[in-house]
Amino acid sequence: MIGFPFLALHVKVTLITSREEIYPYVLHRTCGRNLTRNPRCSSRTLSKLRRAVPEVEADVNAVDVRGLSRSFDGREILRDVSFTVGHGEIFGYLGPNGAGKTTTIRILLGLLAPGAGEVRVLGRDLAADDDARARVGVLFENNGLADRMSAADNLAYYAGLYGVEDPAARIDELLALVDLADRRDDPVGTFSTGMKRKLGIARAILHRPEVVFLDEPSSGLDPGAQRMVRDLIVELSRREEMTVFLNSHHLDEVQRICSTVAILAGGRIRAFDSVANLTASSGRPAVTVSLADPGERARACETAGNLPYVTECDADGNSLLCTIADPGATPDLIAALVGAGFRIEEVRRSSRSLEEIYLEHVGQAEGGA
Amino acid sequence: MSTLAVIARREIRLALRNRGALITALIFSVWFPVMSALSIAVGAGGDTAAVAGGIAAITLPVGVFMGYIFCADAFLREKRDGTIETLLCAPVSLRRLWEGKAIGVTVPAYVMMLLSAVASIAAIAGLTGVSVSAEPLLLLHFVAVVPIWIGASAGLIGAAQLALGMRENQILGFVFIFGFIFLIGGLQAVMSGGPGISATMEGVLAAVGLALLGLARAIAGKVTKERIVRTIP
Repeated sequence: MIGFPFLALHVKVTLITSREEIYPYVLHRTCGRNLTRNPRCSSRTLSKLRRAVPEVEADVNAVDVRGLSRSFDGREILRDVSFTVGHGEIFGYLGPNGAGKTTTIRILLGLLAPGAGEVRVLGRDLAADDDARARVGVLFENNGLADRMSAADNLAYYAGLYGVEDPAARIDELLALVDLADRRDDPVGTFSTGMKRKLGIARAILHRPEVVFLDEPSSGLDPGAQRMVRDLIVELSRREEMTVFLNSHHLDEVQRICSTVAILAGGRIRAFDSVANLTASSGRPAVTVSLADPGERARACETAGNLPYVTECDADGNSLLCTIADPGATPDLIAALVGAGFRIEEVRRSSRSLEEIYLEHVGQAEGGA
Repeated sequence: MSTLAVIARREIRLALRNRGALITALIFSVWFPVMSALSIAVGAGGDTAAVAGGIAAITLPVGVFMGYIFCADAFLREKRDGTIETLLCAPVSLRRLWEGKAIGVTVPAYVMMLLSAVASIAAIAGLTGVSVSAEPLLLLHFVAVVPIWIGASAGLIGAAQLALGMRENQILGFVFIFGFIFLIGGLQAVMSGGPGISATMEGVLAAVGLALLGLARAIAGKVTKERIVRTIP
């Protein structure tokens, strides 16, 4: 619908003035956020708009998935999947094997067509937009490296494909960042799994993408290398303001570094929220009370259970897990237990781990299936 | 450097570092023409045109076969390893990727064919004393006809390797290569008016080669990223 007025305005404004600050501003004001979805709006125009009108950037999510469905050979893999990822976020996409995580990434990257629904990365359809693909980086399981070429040659190849400016300096910078500067001329085939992974990450961010998709970046790595990859992801998000779309099975890793997660199971999004909200939303506030004498657990549990604001109390190892009606009642609980003569070693608010939440949602999905 | 040159250059470098493919190509490009040179030398006697025709008849299938050998590295290996998926995410069209790879296969295959031609000419010159190195039609054959056919076969086989699954590729790879060799043999048998190299024969071969190149380009244009990704093992 807006195609014709947009084109008319485009011609008109180009004829009237070539001043860049007026041109994109008028376009933005006239077409609003629809402009970013207009296939006739080239990436170059969009880039101009972004520079000139900061609101445009705010209008467009880094990743936007709406009502996405996809079937293979009559089997429905994704059903009405919707989520968004904001700029600069580290987003964790979780789900069991075969849940459709890689299919989602492939659809986002334009490698597969969506069956139904709409996907956008930086407001663009990557399947149809070569320029937009230059603003996105990707690391699949295979790292995308040629074993017979050296580390530097592999990076130089991708630098050529992405049109990286001053590739030699950028390659040196990245090889130093991933601690492979001394192996720059060695064939990648002689590298360990961890070294290949690090080089794969360097390759994925070589062209300074705005969004980077990382598919299981720390799989097959030793704990030291996993930590290095984790730190690198956080550093990239912070220093280069990169949006990171992380597909991972390492729930501990996701909980540590991701700001937002979506849990995919049975082809549907089962949870989509910030990590803080998800782990805090156990439904009922609870506190864990560790006793100095574990032999007193049963008696302490009975005492706590009789308190009016304690709805449930279970002995859990050397501790009591008390579910309370009101989080503000925690000091009263501690006072009551101390008053009853119990020696308390530690009290902490109980929050669920991402792993518990994940297993709960996946379990529900499997039960439902 | 254009993306086409970047892709082609990388494939050439990879081909030159693939020892297995290089050894196979070297053995085939030297052994086969040298052995054939014996029968050419006997059949042609001292007739320069007949010797040139014999060499032209050998070098074309050799060039096509060399293309097939290097295609396995440029297209099939990339798909088997899954690295093609990363390449498909680059800001390069699928057609450009295919073109770059096809050129990257054609160049080393052409160099191997030239080596094969030099070996044939040297062997025949040694056996019969006949030198055909300055034969204009043979030079035209090497400069125009053979590269067109190598490019066409590399493009067609490459497009098929991108579009088909691994098992289908194992079967159809042989079908393609023998199809090409039978086609060349058939054209040479039908068009040949006698022993020797002729302008008509070279013209027909060049025309058919160009048609195949166009067919390869059309087929490559039909291959989709989805098709490639869904046939990655």
